[in-house]
Amino acid sequence: MSKQLNIKIKPLGFLDLLAFKNLIPTRKKNISNAAADLIEAAPPVNVLAQRLHPKAQHFVIEDVTFETSSAKTFRLVPDEESETGELAFFRPGQYLTFSFKINGSTVKRPYSISSSPNEALKGYYDITVKRDEGGFVSSYIFDNWDKGTKVTSSGPEGHFSYDNLRDSNKIIGIAGGCGITPFRSIAKSIIEGLLDIDLILFYGCNKKEDIIFYNEYKELEKNSDGKFKVVYVLAEEDLEGFEQGFITSDLIRRYTDIEKKSFFICGPQGLYNFIDKELVKENIERKFIRKEVFGEIKDIEKYEGFPQDATEERFNVKVHIGDDSSTIPAKATESLLVALERAGLCPPSGCRSGACGLCRSLLIDGNVYIPKDVDGRRMADIQFGYIHPCSTFPVSDVEMIVSREA
Amino acid sequence: MVTNDYQKEYDAVVIGAGNGGLTAAATLAGKGMKTLLIEQHNLPGGFATSFVRGRFEFEPSLHEISDFGPPEDKGATRQLLEDKIGLDLEWLRVPEAYRLIIPNEKGGRLDVVMPFGKEEYISKLEEYVPGSRPYVTDFISLCEEVVNAFTYLAESKGKADKNVLMDKYPNFLKTASYSLQDVLDAMKIPYLAQKILTAYWCYLGLGTKQVNFTIFAAMFYKYVMRAAYVPKYRSHGFTVALDKRIRELGGEILYNTKVEKILVKDGKVVGVETSKGDKIKTQFVISNASPHLVYNQLIYPKEEIPDIALKTCNARKVSFSAFVVYLGLNKSPQELGINEYSYFVYSTPDTNDIYKQFHELRRPTGQATVCLNNSIPDCSPEGTSIVYLTTLYSGDCWSKVEPKDYFELKNKIAEEMIDEFEKALGINIRDSIEEIEVATPATFASYTGAFNGSVYGYEPVPWDSVLPRMMCMNDEKYIKGLEFAGGFAFRCHGYSSSLQSGETAALLTYKDFMEVKNNEQTVEH
Repeated sequence: MSKQLNIKIKPLGFLDLLAFKNLIPTRKKNISNAAADLIEAAPPVNVLAQRLHPKAQHFVIEDVTFETSSAKTFRLVPDEESETGELAFFRPGQYLTFSFKINGSTVKRPYSISSSPNEALKGYYDITVKRDEGGFVSSYIFDNWDKGTKVTSSGPEGHFSYDNLRDSNKIIGIAGGCGITPFRSIAKSIIEGLLDIDLILFYGCNKKEDIIFYNEYKELEKNSDGKFKVVYVLAEEDLEGFEQGFITSDLIRRYTDIEKKSFFICGPQGLYNFIDKELVKENIERKFIRKEVFGEIKDIEKYEGFPQDATEERFNVKVHIGDDSSTIPAKATESLLVALERAGLCPPSGCRSGACGLCRSLLIDGNVYIPKDVDGRRMADIQFGYIHPCSTFPVSDVEMIVSREA
Repeated sequence: MVTNDYQKEYDAVVIGAGNGGLTAAATLAGKGMKTLLIEQHNLPGGFATSFVRGRFEFEPSLHEISDFGPPEDKGATRQLLEDKIGLDLEWLRVPEAYRLIIPNEKGGRLDVVMPFGKEEYISKLEEYVPGSRPYVTDFISLCEEVVNAFTYLAESKGKADKNVLMDKYPNFLKTASYSLQDVLDAMKIPYLAQKILTAYWCYLGLGTKQVNFTIFAAMFYKYVMRAAYVPKYRSHGFTVALDKRIRELGGEILYNTKVEKILVKDGKVVGVETSKGDKIKTQFVISNASPHLVYNQLIYPKEEIPDIALKTCNARKVSFSAFVVYLGLNKSPQELGINEYSYFVYSTPDTNDIYKQFHELRRPTGQATVCLNNSIPDCSPEGTSIVYLTTLYSGDCWSKVEPKDYFELKNKIAEEMIDEFEKALGINIRDSIEEIEVATPATFASYTGAFNGSVYGYEPVPWDSVLPRMMCMNDEKYIKGLEFAGGFAFRCHGYSSSLQSGETAALLTYKDFMEVKNNEQTVEH
């Protein structure tokens, strides 16, 4: 109970009890005078939110272009039979997460948007897919997606985008293989005036025939007023007009100085492993290095600390989703997310690189290996035993609780 | 038409795992009720969460929790989380109340750092505004009376004795229906002292001429007397702990699931339906979603929506959404020259002008900025810091924004805020930005579905402040079995209020549940 107070306050002027007595009648009056209308329309900010971040976008494939023998660009337009009217605007460099039903299991894969945001306003997105040897989903897309196919994705996601408050407006892009796709969106945005930056792009491929967008980039360079330039670096061929070898810091320095410039890097895992070492040599501040997430780790056995005796092992994973429980097999060298998908359990997922946290699940029992550089978990999640299955590898039998599909 | 094909039955269902929903579910489960908490996201917390960019983990919405206190003198919120619910977490004391900078104050720049503690606060104010001591002492005593009166009202459970109120809390009654400015003026508090005393106004989202005095008094007093605290591992640290505790107490939680209908029959809750097709039988629902969302969108069938509930929604004003710039900086706070935890920078002296500007989509004139490292030194890697700058906007002033202009607009406003902060402190932070994220009202709306992106609740103007809400609680219970928790509930917004509102809603639900149970037993016997 509160103690007796001894307040000596000067008289509170005109303030009086009458107003207090009127407090409730005033409230009742305000309520009874208000309209009894139902607010049926979404409020303005919720409408804007829905336009910027739609939960799902439904498309029809309008056109398919062969970029190389192993890369195709798919042009996606809104599916008129769905609720998708307009395409969400995005930041050049963002991706869409597509859902697939393959052999009874639902899987998701992120693909960078290769067209520009202005083109989204005109009513289409492009995504460019490279057939990956042994790649289960990219092969599916290659064999099954065609003109007229209906596909579904998330809204635009990801953080591989230029930010004028953070980045230098002089960008050094580094792309390897299919990592070239977001740079097409960025380059187009420079030419269309959406991005006020200079981009010099170092693009690594094995052979000339593997280069995606070669002719298109020539055209974009011509129209860019010097703001966009590509340096092609071929690992397996020595041709005139092309650099031969790998994208080393020495090679980069031959074309541009690198002080206080922002590096944007996108490619397969091997590229990151290589570039990381080059940039360490140069002592580049972290703020000037932006890397796109690159998907699942395919050579986990090469990571420091991965238990080598587990490489050939298979484990049992007991999974609880809602009221359902099941036990599924999992390889030590494949992420728990892949195991869940193979078993047809439809787990939620997004970036597949440990970052976005959409697959966040609770590990109840067992041991796992999580490589440090793809451990994007929150600190409290680490404490409380949560994992991101897309970047987590079982090294014993495990038991986990997975959320329902989002 | 509500049919009877339920798949499951619970004693109570809680909609939304925000602060209020979590404490509600934990309290219900702790009372032994079979409880299901349903959350649309894959993690708990609502706005009380965290997100990771690069090597930084950001705090999305919390600045500091009031009414918390040290372990040896626990405030109500610490008591709730630790003693009643059973969390055992690390909390850190915020070092100072705030630094307030008003560059264009009448008579020149105002720049003060205010400490916690009654004596310390009064003495510091006397230093800045000589002669203010007696006035400020009176003001704080009045605030204390307000807090004690609220405690009495809560303890008397709706049966407050008028004579006790008149006898012990006369100044509370006198001020209860007035604005903060009315009381400041009535007490003849010197102008500059007023400016310093009212710095926290933006946490209530109303200028001094509009905000009810008693709610401000209670907030101010609890901050200054009990200091403020923050959780060691961001808000996600305590919301994930609440998730665990709810399950330990026997409660269940369904994530990635959205409640789409609250089924009502003859004015009583009978169940809920979800986006995943679950149809759950229950007589009790606690909604962490606002009355605006519940009455306009969730009650099913629509004929069950009482007109008076819609009138109540439409009479009230949904308060602001937020605009937050999150910065991961590659220098330490000392290197940057950021020495305090909490900054209020008001570009124009009059709070009521700033309130007006919050309704217009232009350069922000008020910001509350936090440097997390100054309470949690190791919240980011050594040699780095986390700073976040917050301002408020009404949802409506974003109505004309087109998606194609959105990204440019948000960086423009972010830059203006950074600029204002840099100028106020005479420092440079923009060259040290390693990570940046900007949340707008659309981000908040997208994340929780909050009505018009509001991160607060209803505006606590005098007729809709805590006291009248409390006094009308029974009259305004429009559907049997339905209670509200969170920022839109009767305690008003803010972390402490939201957390405590969940407990209140749970206790009210439990009382009704026991009544129903006892009646059923009487019938059976």
